[in-house]
Amino acid sequence: MANVILKNLVKRFNSVTAVDDLSLEVHDREFAVLVGSSGCGKTTALRMIAGLEPITSGEIFIGDTLVNDMDPKDRDIAMVFQNYALYPHMNVRENLGFGLKIRKFPKAEIDARVQEAADILGIHDLLERKPKELSGGQRQRVALGRAIVRKPKVFLFDEPLSNLDAKLRVAMRAEISKLHRRLGATIIYVTHDQVEAMTMADRIFIMHKGALQQTGVPMEVYAKPANRFVAGFIGSPAMNFIDATLVREADAWYIDAGEFKVKAPAAFNARLEPYAGRQVVFGVRPEDIAAHDPAADARAGNTLTARTDVVQTLGAEIFVYLTCGAHSLVALMEAPEQTLTEGQRLDVDLKMVKTHVFDRETSQTIV
Amino acid sequence: MGEFTEMTAAFSAISRFVDRRQRFFFPAPAVAVLFLIIVLPIVFNLYLTFTKWTVGLGQPQFIGFDNFVEAFGDERVWNGVKVMVYFSGASLALELFLGLMIALYFNRAFRGSEAVQAIYIIPFAATPVAVALIWRIMLNPEIGVINYMLTSIGLPPGLWVSSEHMVVPTLVMVDVWKWTPMITLIVLAGLKSLPQDPYEAARIDGANPLQIFWYITLPLIRPVLIAALMLRSLDNLKEFDMIYTITQGGPGIASETLYLYSYNVSFGFFKAGYGSALMVVVFLVVLVFNVLMNRLRRDASAV
Repeated sequence: MANVILKNLVKRFNSVTAVDDLSLEVHDREFAVLVGSSGCGKTTALRMIAGLEPITSGEIFIGDTLVNDMDPKDRDIAMVFQNYALYPHMNVRENLGFGLKIRKFPKAEIDARVQEAADILGIHDLLERKPKELSGGQRQRVALGRAIVRKPKVFLFDEPLSNLDAKLRVAMRAEISKLHRRLGATIIYVTHDQVEAMTMADRIFIMHKGALQQTGVPMEVYAKPANRFVAGFIGSPAMNFIDATLVREADAWYIDAGEFKVKAPAAFNARLEPYAGRQVVFGVRPEDIAAHDPAADARAGNTLTARTDVVQTLGAEIFVYLTCGAHSLVALMEAPEQTLTEGQRLDVDLKMVKTHVFDRETSQTIV
Repeated sequence: MGEFTEMTAAFSAISRFVDRRQRFFFPAPAVAVLFLIIVLPIVFNLYLTFTKWTVGLGQPQFIGFDNFVEAFGDERVWNGVKVMVYFSGASLALELFLGLMIALYFNRAFRGSEAVQAIYIIPFAATPVAVALIWRIMLNPEIGVINYMLTSIGLPPGLWVSSEHMVVPTLVMVDVWKWTPMITLIVLAGLKSLPQDPYEAARIDGANPLQIFWYITLPLIRPVLIAALMLRSLDNLKEFDMIYTITQGGPGIASETLYLYSYNVSFGFFKAGYGSALMVVVFLVVLVFNVLMNRLRRDASAV
């Protein structure tokens, strides 16, 4: 097993910079998830680690070896592709064993490893079938199996679940997590799905426009996003952003959005100080908006009056799309006893300590 | 008045009859023409197979399978089979091999590859008889440009199609020159339609370029190769215009394929019955070859 280090990695396609000065370290045995919207450079970065894409500049280390000029076959990696990339003319057994056969493993060893992988993935019955006789989920397992038999230092996953239906995807997420624990391998997993990233990762690496935005364990990037992009990308439904101005009044800082004004918690004060009177973006997650509690302290200054636009019932929870003048907000609340109707007035409380304020120019987090 | 109604009734009965059977009436002219130019000649040819008939001398005489018996003992038939197997085997194998290699080369885009490909296609696009005539002149041992070039760089001149031993290889060379581009085109189209991700998977799995060709490209392209071979074999097994224009089967009968011999029997000796029988033999050879190939292709594409 091994760690993977990227140093100032750059990839340009003609005039387009796909990966821009990317530096990161994935620890030994870590499940690292590279996440970002499509075109953010995550797959290109992965393909450079695999050796499928030449590097424009920068360095890649696997273990302690500089692999920049190494062929993929010499990097001791295995990759699971989005489209599975199975060999269509070989049956499952041959697909699994191909890498070992090429590496001149003895027949008995190949058989044993194929058996082992088939055991782990439960694909015994499929060994004699051709890929086209398999369902998407089964092909996915075979693609995983082909990586497992090689017992590589590092596993690379390129959006392996994005072609599966929603239910299967949830099941495979758990399986891949289990597999990671069982193999104790270093995994670099690329996805655009932040739910996959949150549920599977030891650490998340969030990319945007070719550059790394933030690194951290899932709860950390959720609770303390480094900038507005991360704040909006992690969490579902996405954080609400409202343009506002910071104003200082006698007792405290206020976030003034025109249609409403809420009081910032005292803990924010020191950070907000330099932004007095400045244009900011106020961020509040849907789950931090709750129906107004009449028993609460009226001086908290965290209540705003809105109008319901659309109400969607999930069961235990509801999505409420609110409008507050020109602003719109999504709230995720517990289903109230009285059914909400669309177009009614609704007072809501914001959990102010969980909210964020971003610099409108740099998009960096202020608090 | 009564007569008029009767006529109208008769007309409408006819038109109803036609209307209901449109599916027979509309294709009828085309069917008639096809019958005349395809079915009739084939049936007539099959009939002649069982007759002895010298064109211009009396009527065809029915002789049963005697023509086939005669063919079996005819040394020129065996020579024809030998030349056909030699010529077709060598030219098809070379065309397939070179076609695949050149297609693999063209499949990697390079600067000016489109222009090179366009020039490369020219032999295939040229008229066969014109090509054959020019080759015949170029191959002439006395005045041909090929011997001129060989001698001018100090190599010995060749007899080419004037030599019993060199004639078939020379014809194979001309056939390969003319038809390899066709195989290339078909194989190139096949290569371009192959899925790309298995190649990346194979690189990660550790295969070198040669192994990738052997374990991935070749099996995946096999159905296309066989289809190209079948297509080419249809013409090649009954190659006529090129051989006839360059050698007429000579020197002696050294380049006389079975097909050429059957032509000579029919239109040289006017033995239409025997010639037809030989033609049927050629047909059976082509048929059997292609049935086998088709089976192979189906196995190969059952991935």
